[in-house]
Amino acid sequence: MSAKIASVIYRKEMLELLRDRRTLISMVLVPLFALPILFGVMSLVLEWQQKEAERDSYIVAVNPACGKMMETVLAAAGFRIKPAAQARRAVESKAVAAALDVTVANGSKQYVVYSDRTRPSSSIAGERMSVTLAAMKEVSVRQSLRGTGISEQVLTPFTVRAVNVASERKMNGLLLGSSLAYLVVLLMFTGAMYPAVDTAAGEKERRTLEALLCSPAGRDEIVLGKVLACATASLLTAVLAMASLVYSYRYMRFGIVPDATNFNPLDPRTFSLILLSVAPISVLAGSLMVAVSLFAKSYKEGQSYLTPLLMAVLFPAVLGTLPGLELTPALALVPIFNVCQIVKEIFVGTFSPAAFATACAANLTYATLAFLAATRIFRSEGVLFRV
Amino acid sequence: MIQADYLAKHFKDRKRGTFKALDGVSFEARAGEVFGLLGPNGAGKTTTLRVLATVLKPTGGTARIGGVDILRDPGRVRRQIGFTSGDMGQYGRLTPLEALSFFARLNGLEGKSLRSRLDDVIGRFGIASYANTKIDKLSTGMKQKVAIARTVIHDPPVLILDEPSSGLDVPASRLIEEFILSAKQTGKCILFSTHIMEEAEYLCDRIAVVNRGRVTAMGTMDELRSLTGKQRLREVFLALLGIEENAPGAVA
Repeated sequence: MSAKIASVIYRKEMLELLRDRRTLISMVLVPLFALPILFGVMSLVLEWQQKEAERDSYIVAVNPACGKMMETVLAAAGFRIKPAAQARRAVESKAVAAALDVTVANGSKQYVVYSDRTRPSSSIAGERMSVTLAAMKEVSVRQSLRGTGISEQVLTPFTVRAVNVASERKMNGLLLGSSLAYLVVLLMFTGAMYPAVDTAAGEKERRTLEALLCSPAGRDEIVLGKVLACATASLLTAVLAMASLVYSYRYMRFGIVPDATNFNPLDPRTFSLILLSVAPISVLAGSLMVAVSLFAKSYKEGQSYLTPLLMAVLFPAVLGTLPGLELTPALALVPIFNVCQIVKEIFVGTFSPAAFATACAANLTYATLAFLAATRIFRSEGVLFRV
Repeated sequence: MIQADYLAKHFKDRKRGTFKALDGVSFEARAGEVFGLLGPNGAGKTTTLRVLATVLKPTGGTARIGGVDILRDPGRVRRQIGFTSGDMGQYGRLTPLEALSFFARLNGLEGKSLRSRLDDVIGRFGIASYANTKIDKLSTGMKQKVAIARTVIHDPPVLILDEPSSGLDVPASRLIEEFILSAKQTGKCILFSTHIMEEAEYLCDRIAVVNRGRVTAMGTMDELRSLTGKQRLREVFLALLGIEENAPGAVA
């Protein structure tokens, strides 16, 4: 196989791809602008929802049977109280965020807090009302203890203080790593999709393939040139997607992390490691997509053939975002999933070089096998001259 | 220059079973000769040319081009041929200069020899004025010139042309004819298939009539006339296919 011939084909493919509007959209515009726009809109909607929920969560109903005292305490806690004889119904009809009723159970008074956990404002109101009632209950117990001579200390035999040992970088890394790995891997496949269809099925449809087959270029060299062009498109998509995701994460708030503007996850080391870990995936994406789209005789047919492949990629990519799953030596062999985990661990800063090497080696092996499959398919006359 | 020996090509088809596209095709085409392949649709002309261009692998038999066996060294065979067909597309997003440069590089040209060859071909075919315009934006005639230029960019001794004037208007067809004749004068071996009888009669030194994957007759125009007792190539062709003109069911 001549590297020179393959590079001539690669340069031709890249030139053609860079002049194709569809490829440019999937390779540059989508990763660069779609994610910031998506996250920007999400951020605005979340912010608006939070404000709405916060405001509405103070509107509650109290059954007059609960007594004036209860109303006064809740009003002091900031609640705007509406009287309602049927507390549950008031919540169900969305007239109020939460409601308080009183019944008798086992001979003692039982306050019932009604809330609808599917509504953020109702959920917040229910929690807040329960906290207020618990505080009121504690005050009542303390008052009762004062008369008996028992120390109020019995109510607090010990205190609990929770400490998160994860650094701010680690927390940010986990949040960013989970979403970034999944989206980047997915975008790498969509980024390779149009170039693959264009260079394989598109070349058949435009009837330019025969001229190429009649040239001194060997079949393997042609496939190598085409796969490398698709891998480049895939890798470029990954780099742009990473840059835009990190930017979106730093400058757009999602109500999860209060401020991530000082968080700079893409330092040269992290960036190089991520690039190294996703590089075999770009070759895998290019090879698989070229191999599949070779079966198609038109651009449209090629797109239809590749859609199930995207679905197949989605499954291990989603698994990779699940919390609690760790990269064991066996799981490091699972393609797509392993790179999602590795990227997440690189961001968190907990990645193990052994797992990294295993995952990269496994993905490189899959990429090579996919490339060999593509060359085998490209040698098949039945596939190339399918009418 | 081209020596085809009992070329066979069988395709397996779910509906038809094994289909013999070529069933022992043999012929020889020499340097400085225009050799025509004539035959009805599905006769095996395109398959023959594709096998010779090493795009398809023969099921049986072999061929030598410039003394090189198509099975033993297909890469070297492809360096010796220029192939084009009437329905072959072009890289529309590239300019003629980029496309020609691409095929020249695939044929091993680079540096000064690449530039001088590009200048020569672009000048010879009058492409200079639109050499930097995307091929998609060119007229059919201009595209045709680019296609021919691509075929000879590496100055191959053998040209294989599969119905090169199919779908072209008279001026564009004229261009193809002039190209074939000038290539013949420079000593190239030209093997071409066509449906246009006048074109074959005008250009071909020898003709092979192919039907159902076999060569049914071969010779110069005079030899074919004396074989059939007909004058015009159209009549000769129909007689060789066993179809008499004006007979019931004859091809009009």
